[in-house]
Amino acid sequence: MSAAAAVVEPPRNDLLSWITTTDHKRIGILYMLTTLGYFAVAGALALVIRTQLARPENSVVGPHEFAQLFTLHGTAMIFLFIAPFAIGLANFLIPLQIGAPDMAFPRLNAMGYWMFLFGGLIVFAGAGTSEGAAAAGWTSYAPLSEIKVSSGIGQDLWIVGVFLVSVATILTAINFVTTAFIYRAPGMTMWRLPIFTWEMIATSLLIFMAFPALAADLLLLFVDRHLGGHAFDPAYGGNAVLWQHLFWFFGHPEVYVMILPYFGVISEIIPVFSRKPIFGYTGLVLAAFAIAGLSMGVWAHHMFTTGAVNNPFFSFMSFLIAVPTGVKFFNWIATMWRGQLTFPTPMLFCMGFLMNFLLGGVTGVMVASPPVDFQAHDSYFVVAHFHYTLGGGSLFAIFAALFFWWPKIFGVKLGETLGKWCFWLLFIGFNVTFLPMHFLGIEGMARRVSTYPALGNLPILNLIATLGSYVMLAGAVVFAVDVIASTLKREPVGDDPWGANSLEWATSSPPPEHNFERLPPIRSERPVFDLRHPELDPEAGR
Amino acid sequence: MHGQTWPSVATTQASVLASDWRIFTIAGLAVAVLVWGLILFAMARWGRARRTDALPPQFRRNNALEITWTAIPLVIVCALFVYTYHAEADVEALATHPDVRVHVNAYRWGWTFAYTGGPTIDGTAADPPQMLLPLGRTTRIELTTSDVTHAFWVPDFLFKRDAIPGIVNRFDLAPDKVGTFLGRCTQFCGLQHAHMTFTVRVVPPDAFDRWVHGGAS
Repeated sequence: MSAAAAVVEPPRNDLLSWITTTDHKRIGILYMLTTLGYFAVAGALALVIRTQLARPENSVVGPHEFAQLFTLHGTAMIFLFIAPFAIGLANFLIPLQIGAPDMAFPRLNAMGYWMFLFGGLIVFAGAGTSEGAAAAGWTSYAPLSEIKVSSGIGQDLWIVGVFLVSVATILTAINFVTTAFIYRAPGMTMWRLPIFTWEMIATSLLIFMAFPALAADLLLLFVDRHLGGHAFDPAYGGNAVLWQHLFWFFGHPEVYVMILPYFGVISEIIPVFSRKPIFGYTGLVLAAFAIAGLSMGVWAHHMFTTGAVNNPFFSFMSFLIAVPTGVKFFNWIATMWRGQLTFPTPMLFCMGFLMNFLLGGVTGVMVASPPVDFQAHDSYFVVAHFHYTLGGGSLFAIFAALFFWWPKIFGVKLGETLGKWCFWLLFIGFNVTFLPMHFLGIEGMARRVSTYPALGNLPILNLIATLGSYVMLAGAVVFAVDVIASTLKREPVGDDPWGANSLEWATSSPPPEHNFERLPPIRSERPVFDLRHPELDPEAGR
Repeated sequence: MHGQTWPSVATTQASVLASDWRIFTIAGLAVAVLVWGLILFAMARWGRARRTDALPPQFRRNNALEITWTAIPLVIVCALFVYTYHAEADVEALATHPDVRVHVNAYRWGWTFAYTGGPTIDGTAADPPQMLLPLGRTTRIELTTSDVTHAFWVPDFLFKRDAIPGIVNRFDLAPDKVGTFLGRCTQFCGLQHAHMTFTVRVVPPDAFDRWVHGGAS
């Protein structure tokens, strides 16, 4: 299966070739490395936040610096790391998984990456201006973000930067859907697509519907700030709730843009290390589309305390999302059932994902009940909830993906010993950081406060959370060491070091520029498994 | 959380809210423990299986099982919704003739409490104001803002509501416990957000009447 290396001229590897590349694999790598850079910055900001909150009435940073810290932390984690990492991974994987030589629109793909990179840099550039970076939170609620209140250019740079990122995201989503629909290799029917590719199709459809609302919201705010508009100002016939409607019409589907790809990652990895097919392939695909569809009708559960929306409707729609999410969990467990389980680092991170995300899902159902949300909203309970989904969930799946596909992407395996250290430090650190936040919220700690009084259990719970965040830092450092150590060692891996299933493992590691020398026959969603086991019927049980 | 029940409460509305919290916490933890248990069981039971050349059974799909694990959660969330619907209606019900009316206005960074037919109290982040409420009577709060969006939250009441430009939000509070409770803004509103606090002091009705009419605390 390996590429006949002598025949193929090696691709150029200088800086210019990376800047001008339209190869989906290189764009995917650029995306992933860039998002990891933004992740490092956003994580460092979080550590400053936790250091400030380690003790009551602390003064490591002042309130204005603190507001910039949590604004940039949220903006970077959401817009510049968790969502675009999936875009980078999908860029690398989708053509390989469907047996295509590249994406449908390679130059559009490159344009998306560069818009994303500079969009992020523009947001951060605000930190260099005299009034500092944007400081109205990643949600940037109007009228707080209007020019009367937030006059600094940092807010404008935030609008422009996030706008660029959102347009880049829409362009890339068009590319994903087109590629997956029409560039599939012979034999790769829709019902043989790997689950990850399916999840990216669902994600892309969500992006089509959600991101234009964000772009419109940002444009309205810009018009308000600089062209005399009054979209969000009731004194001139505007509506302050309009910002929230448009923002969350984007913002809740965005939550699933940040989790569906990682459901795909988990669905790819668990069968490999269980040595079994995914249990309910059709059920998982249908659940992804059910989640995507329902997520378009739940946005105002972020607005239960506004008194301006129909709470019961949005509450019921939000509860319903628990059903397809449950379907996914049961399918993963059924895939493990009676398998031959092994736990190398990628599988460990999948198990961490399952354990953490479950709690985030449960608290998600809790806050979908308006009477619970009347206490939890904008408190640390909600901070705990969404960090369990995005940190305990998506972040753990990102590490699972890094350890799993690293050998395919770079041709070397990450070290297992350091990998396990990385997992346990992150898993323990994460739970020590975020479990206490549930109790902080119930006890009355609001989110986005730069300091808090020495009352009740607030000081001790905050101190525990801060210590946990330093343990997470240690886990991230171990990961960096693992990357450096394995890169220096350069032990080559074969085409398929894990005994995996999908088509990307049928080519060399790393794959040649045109992806495949030749394709194996595709008779199920596990063509590489079928190749290893010609004695089995690929259609069995389907 | 200093009371006998969890979560501790200080208004009649909060008793309803607290039952909602308890039901969702119990239901949520029950589901979580069940699913965590299944995951850990699978890891322990089949994680020790020796990895041989022989594949484990390659089974997949089971319609009955898949319908079951879709239908049961659907029934559970429908039941939770019915409960939550009634709880919210109880909490948000407005009395036809509230005993006391207070207009609460939030601003960067402080609060004004204007009692209908009584005093007006104002306080900023540096010197937070105190709201006096009568025990066992119903007080109607009318909530507004004069600049950006704020939110009125008293954790011991398990309740918050946003103060949004151009909107008047109304809700009732019927305190059933004497004491002083901390309140604060929960919608990020700028520099002094962390210090935009107030206190609510619940006093017996006769003491409240003397204060409203005489101005003495």
